[in-house]
Amino acid sequence: MKLGAGRSEFFINFIAILITLSIAFVAVIVLIFLLSSQPIDTIYYFFIGPFTNRYYLGNMLNTSIPLIFTGLGIAIAFKSSVFNLGGEGQVYAAALVTTVICLALPTANGYFGGTLALAGAALTGSFLAGLSGYFRMKWGTDELISSYLLSASIIMVVNYFITGPLNDPTNNLLATKLIGSQYFLLKIMPPSKLDIGIFIAIATAVVAFFFMYHTHAGYEMRMCGLNREFSRYGGIDTARYLILPMLISGLLHGLAGGFIVLGTYHKAIKEFSFGMGWNGIAVALIARNNPLAVIPAAFFFAYLDAGAKAAMLHSDVTFEIAAIVQAIIYYLVTAKVIYRFIRYRKRVINA
Amino acid sequence: MHSPYSIPVLHNTIRIMTPFLFAAIGGLFTELAGMLNIALEGLMLIGAFFSVIFTAFTGNLFLGLTLGILSSVLVALIFGWISLYLKANIFITGLATNLLAPGLTTVLAFQIFGNKGVIRFENIPNLTHITIPIIRRIPLLNDILSGHNFLVYLSWLTVIIAAIVIYETPFGLRLRATGLNPRAIESYGLKPRRIQLAAILISGFTCGLGGSMLSLEMGAFVPNLTAGRGWIALVAIYLGSKRPLGIVIASFVFALTESISNYVQGITSVPADFILATPYMVTLLAMIGWSVWQYYRAKE
Repeated sequence: MKLGAGRSEFFINFIAILITLSIAFVAVIVLIFLLSSQPIDTIYYFFIGPFTNRYYLGNMLNTSIPLIFTGLGIAIAFKSSVFNLGGEGQVYAAALVTTVICLALPTANGYFGGTLALAGAALTGSFLAGLSGYFRMKWGTDELISSYLLSASIIMVVNYFITGPLNDPTNNLLATKLIGSQYFLLKIMPPSKLDIGIFIAIATAVVAFFFMYHTHAGYEMRMCGLNREFSRYGGIDTARYLILPMLISGLLHGLAGGFIVLGTYHKAIKEFSFGMGWNGIAVALIARNNPLAVIPAAFFFAYLDAGAKAAMLHSDVTFEIAAIVQAIIYYLVTAKVIYRFIRYRKRVINA
Repeated sequence: MHSPYSIPVLHNTIRIMTPFLFAAIGGLFTELAGMLNIALEGLMLIGAFFSVIFTAFTGNLFLGLTLGILSSVLVALIFGWISLYLKANIFITGLATNLLAPGLTTVLAFQIFGNKGVIRFENIPNLTHITIPIIRRIPLLNDILSGHNFLVYLSWLTVIIAAIVIYETPFGLRLRATGLNPRAIESYGLKPRRIQLAAILISGFTCGLGGSMLSLEMGAFVPNLTAGRGWIALVAIYLGSKRPLGIVIASFVFALTESISNYVQGITSVPADFILATPYMVTLLAMIGWSVWQYYRAKE
């Protein structure tokens, strides 16, 4: 957070996150003992389940792909002190646009059409988030609330298209038609759903890190994040950095939507991306808004998700215990008292 | 206003307005104490779930309502304690509350009823409806304002009490001062954090009432019952210029939109999804319009 944050600051952050996550895991165990009639089995499936076979492991890694994108989208916005709470709608709308582009080009070359579809997804996300950024820049409309409201209404509109005009009548699912198979991303760990999107997600995180820490624009964005007034006196065009972080944030959310269609679902299904936007916020918080740290943070969240799913499949608890655990992480992840405790301990040890 | 439908639409507006009003009035306390309280949504959902569950279990409306409100106050206490005493970012802990509420209610519903969908209660006592005697002879007013359940009138009472507390009591003065400058409050030997915690607990109390209204009037709990009402209430605070009367007007406008949408849904072929989107859209447009107005007013 601070300028010139050195190794010591990194260490403190790391320990604090570790403490937070440990508390969350203890909470999982307590919850399972309270709720399950066979707690030991449930705990086994929750914690070990995701690693027991290729299928679970691959699916878990696959879940992390959209989370890396949304986590990056939030991290870059937060780092610039701009708040994008419209991730849910941006991912969902972008997923629909990706599907529509692929369906409109049923015989196109896979690389050409796929690139076009992803570009459409990125533009959709950028546009939606950019609107809130624009209102903020132009009239000072609070982007946190406006992005949420815009997203909430866009979700309804996307629902309409998926269940209405674009619905596939030959299928009982509330979903669109399947896109052409030339658009499917290559699976790398059959029989699981994991596809090459994971490499693109990781590469994007590296690019985002480079952008934020090694480019002029990235530097100015971080400065605005630290203190917008001060940056303005320093000659930075601060208005620009109200809209640019939103555009980038929306772009990354859009890509999340694009990749779940091309890589995993191959169509748009009603409500299929729900949670990816909110979880992106948790991922960014655990990563302390560092783009590279977003990768392990997304893996962790995917693990939590996979654990809850495995426990639900093999035991008697419901998937939503994951939401309670996530809430506990949200509650504690910014608690300054934990950091103070570590600093205090460290001083005592060093003295 | 000459259409025969305007009376039921306005009658419903008064009913729909109540949860907004409760949440926004509670949110006004936290807002004046200098906190962005996005947890209104989650606190309402907690109140909605527990009040209907406790009412069904005890068979007593008053007891169920009280326990339901206590539940949301308890969650508000956790939310406030972590934010203020563990010094966590209140925006993030607000998100946590909004995530906890659907998670907790679904897990409990599944555990108790083995069902994650709509939970209907057959023998739940009805909310008592009240006829206002004074306006019984005035046809239009009587049709619109009278015959609602007691929570509707309680919300009006809450607005009046809130206005008195905020503007006429030492607590209200301290609350507003905390929002302006917590350091100054400290120099008077008062503890700003305690005042802020009190404001959060008040918001938990009113959100509990607002949520209860949603579930008790149906005698059922539906997942995501609050459906963004807490967020809309938050916007109502801003649009109401952080004043009780302004909040009443803003809540009325949002409720009117929803009431008209409900009515339109019955008579036109406009897709239901678009109609569901209108309250958010109207709220967003109102918010943008308000900031444009503020912007040009500040320029002059």
